[in-house]
Amino acid sequence: MIRLQSAHIEELRGIRNLDLEFNGKTVAIWGPNGSGKSGVIDAIEFALTGQIARLTGRGTKSISVADHGPHVDAVKFPDAAFVELTVVIPSLSKTATIKRKVSAPNKPVITPNDADVVAVFDEIAAHPEITLARRDILRFILVEPTKRSEEVQAILKLDDIGQTRTALSSAQNKLRGALKTAGSAMKDARDTLQRHCQIATFGVSELLTAVNVRRERLGLAPLTKLDADTALDEGLAASDKGGEFNKSSALADLVTLQDSVAALPEVAKESVDVVLKAIAQLEGDPALLLALQRVSLLQKGLDLLNGAECPLCDHAWASESDLRDHLREKKAKSDAAATLQSALLAAAGTIATHAETLMGQLRIAYRIAQSRNDTEFATLLASWGTDLRTFKAQLGSLDGVLGTKHRLQQSWAAQPKTFDTLHAAARAAIENLPDQSATVEAQSFLVTAQTRLADFRAASAKHAAADAANAAGVAAYEAYCRAMEGELDALYTDVQAEFSEFYRLINGDDETDFTAKLTPEEGKLDLAVNFYGRGLFPPGAYHSEGHQDGMGVCLYLALMKRLFGSAFTLALLDDVVMSVDSGHRYQFCKLLKERFPETQFVITTHDRLWAEQMRSAGLVTGKSLVAFYSWTVDTGPLVESNTEIWADIDAALAKGKVDNAASALRHHLEFVSRHMADNLRASLVFKGDGNYELGDTLPAVLSRLKELYGKAAAAAQSWGDEGAQQAASARKKQLSESNGASNVEQWAINKAVHYNEWANFGKTDFIPVVAAFKDLLARMNCSTCSAWLYVTPRGGSPEALRCSCASNNLNLKAK
Amino acid sequence: MSTLQQQITDKFLASLAAEKSVTPEMLDALKQLLVSGKKVKADDIVAVFTTPSGGAVT
Repeated sequence: MIRLQSAHIEELRGIRNLDLEFNGKTVAIWGPNGSGKSGVIDAIEFALTGQIARLTGRGTKSISVADHGPHVDAVKFPDAAFVELTVVIPSLSKTATIKRKVSAPNKPVITPNDADVVAVFDEIAAHPEITLARRDILRFILVEPTKRSEEVQAILKLDDIGQTRTALSSAQNKLRGALKTAGSAMKDARDTLQRHCQIATFGVSELLTAVNVRRERLGLAPLTKLDADTALDEGLAASDKGGEFNKSSALADLVTLQDSVAALPEVAKESVDVVLKAIAQLEGDPALLLALQRVSLLQKGLDLLNGAECPLCDHAWASESDLRDHLREKKAKSDAAATLQSALLAAAGTIATHAETLMGQLRIAYRIAQSRNDTEFATLLASWGTDLRTFKAQLGSLDGVLGTKHRLQQSWAAQPKTFDTLHAAARAAIENLPDQSATVEAQSFLVTAQTRLADFRAASAKHAAADAANAAGVAAYEAYCRAMEGELDALYTDVQAEFSEFYRLINGDDETDFTAKLTPEEGKLDLAVNFYGRGLFPPGAYHSEGHQDGMGVCLYLALMKRLFGSAFTLALLDDVVMSVDSGHRYQFCKLLKERFPETQFVITTHDRLWAEQMRSAGLVTGKSLVAFYSWTVDTGPLVESNTEIWADIDAALAKGKVDNAASALRHHLEFVSRHMADNLRASLVFKGDGNYELGDTLPAVLSRLKELYGKAAAAAQSWGDEGAQQAASARKKQLSESNGASNVEQWAINKAVHYNEWANFGKTDFIPVVAAFKDLLARMNCSTCSAWLYVTPRGGSPEALRCSCASNNLNLKAK
Repeated sequence: MSTLQQQITDKFLASLAAEKSVTPEMLDALKQLLVSGKKVKADDIVAVFTTPSGGAVT
């Protein structure tokens, strides 16, 4: 994918105008709470995806990127709110820029606009999970298995995979339904042919016997076989094919219809009872009915979903994924109602099948009535058929079924009152017809038999096609499920192994045997972790919160690595490293450095010591550690750096803003003192709350540094290294002089250290204070690599006082 | 298409190629549908499996 080179941010979130250099390297951004560091993550995320995760999801209903993405003073000017990133695309060996405005979040300007470059940005835009915030971590660990499954699914982009599976499942159901309908139509066609031929069993032999009796009567050659091309009326002259009316056949059809109508009260009785019972249940529980109607509505919404705009109400969501989750969550609450709906529609489907059979018989009777010019009966049959068609259509939907209640209570078939009379009249009229001559009877028999055979053949062909389509649908659905489950099982197996390994890397001192087990089930993802060899338990059962947070980061990293492989080149970790407890931070840095050497991390933290530890561990360098020391709504984040802090203070003093200069200096001194106390292992008076003031840390640091220079001089003397001895002594003397110079301003320092009264000083008063401390801090810093001096090793007896580049490297071990 | 989705699609199509009930035409149409980048709809799949060999007569 990409590596960030630089970012230019204007009027976005809490940022007014900010330039940051990343140079493709891992970057740490430190800043106290409210200093705007998360705004940088928001900006990068927005530039790459068009979204800001913090402005979406639970609890952000009335918040949107469009309304709340711009700086609060630029809300009415979303065009002014934009981010421009310069990136390197290693796979293409290209550098590109992407500029995205809040006013047009879906239309980034990409330069060069090459297809391969655009494709890379499209790929990233589809993966907002490159951002992990601290609030996200617990989503992986301390949630119910069903919820964890959803969160992991979101990272794995399983939505699209699930969508395909659902579509295949729906297709399979539709094909099965079509097969059932085709089977029913084939049976009706077969019954019609069998009835016409008046044969006991539907077989070729009996059929040909019945046909050959008529053929012999007409002097036609008997048929010896029945294949796909056989015509039962073969050899019959066209002039003899004039009428299909066959008296005995017509009477048989009318008798069949009469029998069917007589049996109607008992037909589908159980199914009618099921439907009426379900309707009564829904009417007795309005909440259930509401839930059911919601299921139907939500399913429609899910089916129509195509983009971030709600298809039901046009409301614009942050993403289609968010909207889909929202609809699914609502739909899940109505699952009980959905079960009832399923039973109701299944019973309604059975009634519909019986209605279709009756309609087929009515069609045949209609043809007879028409051929007899019995207009009244034909009209009634047509009207009843139309009514049944409408009724059958109603049975296909929940709302439709609910509307059939009164009909079902009476008679689902809704037999017209005059049917019996008209049917009896039609039958009597046919019975009273003189018997057809043997020749005419034989001719009409063969013509009708051929017509019905053709209908049966067509219905059989449709059934065969439906059967083949159904078999293909079943095969496709099952093959997709197998492929999906196989890949996911492999993925979870890999992830649980890497997750365990990462966690052991961080916690190797006390959890060397840590293992974890991810168990996917339908809609769930169980996670169990080993607790000190005592067995597998849910993560929240025994592990501390700090350990659970660490698990969240490790699971995220394992998922991303498995998902993206070598394409995992960028991750934005917003205050996530706070999840790692202080005892394991160096191991965490080691994990990122050694296991993700190709990944550029942009890491924010509100703990300055943590930021400096990342630098000491080599995860970031002095140049890639950005500090925001303050923020105002007018200026946005104020960036601090070892080189720029003094320029910023000078600039503030030049403008007469002593309060700003004082604030910056104090923050810087607090940071340096605290960091140096850690680097030099200075002795501080212990405070249970860990709330060390500048007055606690700075004197202890100065004392410790003098002590170390003294130790270095003594060690050099013991080794007979006169040059090193003189150098160490000189440093000690310079430190004392700088400290002495700062003592000139003792009155100011004391007030400043203990009462923070710098802000009340005049510019002239404050300039010497700045100069004295600038000189003092320079004694603790390497002029070559800009790193702060530190003692090594971090534990045990000190062996050296050095900097990152080793320009400063004073031996502390005496001979 | 995500890496995982691509892997599943590849495996799915390879598995389906061995099914007697799925013709080469169906397989090809299904592949086009899955790699189009559009959301797959049930009706599209039904059309793939119900279209006569050689295409529908129009």
